[in-house]
Amino acid sequence: MDAVTYPKDAVVEFVSENLIPLRVQFNEEPLASQFRVKWTPTLVVLDEKGEEHHRTVGFFEPNQFIPSQMLGIAKVAFDGDEFKTALEYLERLLKEYPESNSAPEAIYLRGVSLYKSTKDPKPLKAVYEKLADAYPGSEWTNRAYPYSLL
Amino acid sequence: MAKKIEWESVFEKALQRSEKEGKPVLLDFFNPG
Repeated sequence: MDAVTYPKDAVVEFVSENLIPLRVQFNEEPLASQFRVKWTPTLVVLDEKGEEHHRTVGFFEPNQFIPSQMLGIAKVAFDGDEFKTALEYLERLLKEYPESNSAPEAIYLRGVSLYKSTKDPKPLKAVYEKLADAYPGSEWTNRAYPYSLL
Repeated sequence: MAKKIEWESVFEKALQRSEKEGKPVLLDFFNPG
């Protein structure tokens, strides 16, 4: 991460504008035990109370790292019922990084966020149709399958 | 001078900034090698 991803201008800019970056060694206690760290790099996105909302383990190239962090920020907002903010980051992810590995989950979470903010089930059905069309092999397509029956 | 990520190193300070600035925390557990 230090050699490839963190030095990139786009990564520096995104992290600086959207996150509070905190770095500790993998064996620093009590955090290592508190967050059950077993491998590096382990990246965790937390809310202001220190509660975990998103976790990844392993290397991310810049064009995967940024959308993964966008997804993490969206999850923090979603879990806090801040659906407008969640949708802003999910839409941005899907617009700027549609080919990223985070895109299928973003489509899923966007549909759920739309449903929870409007109570209209149409976005849920659209989730499955979109995923089945664009990512037929994704686990998120499978997870969305029940919505096709709505 | 090249830009770089300005990492916090203290958990509590990062949480304080998170609340004040309205941004989530990215916590990176790393191996310095």
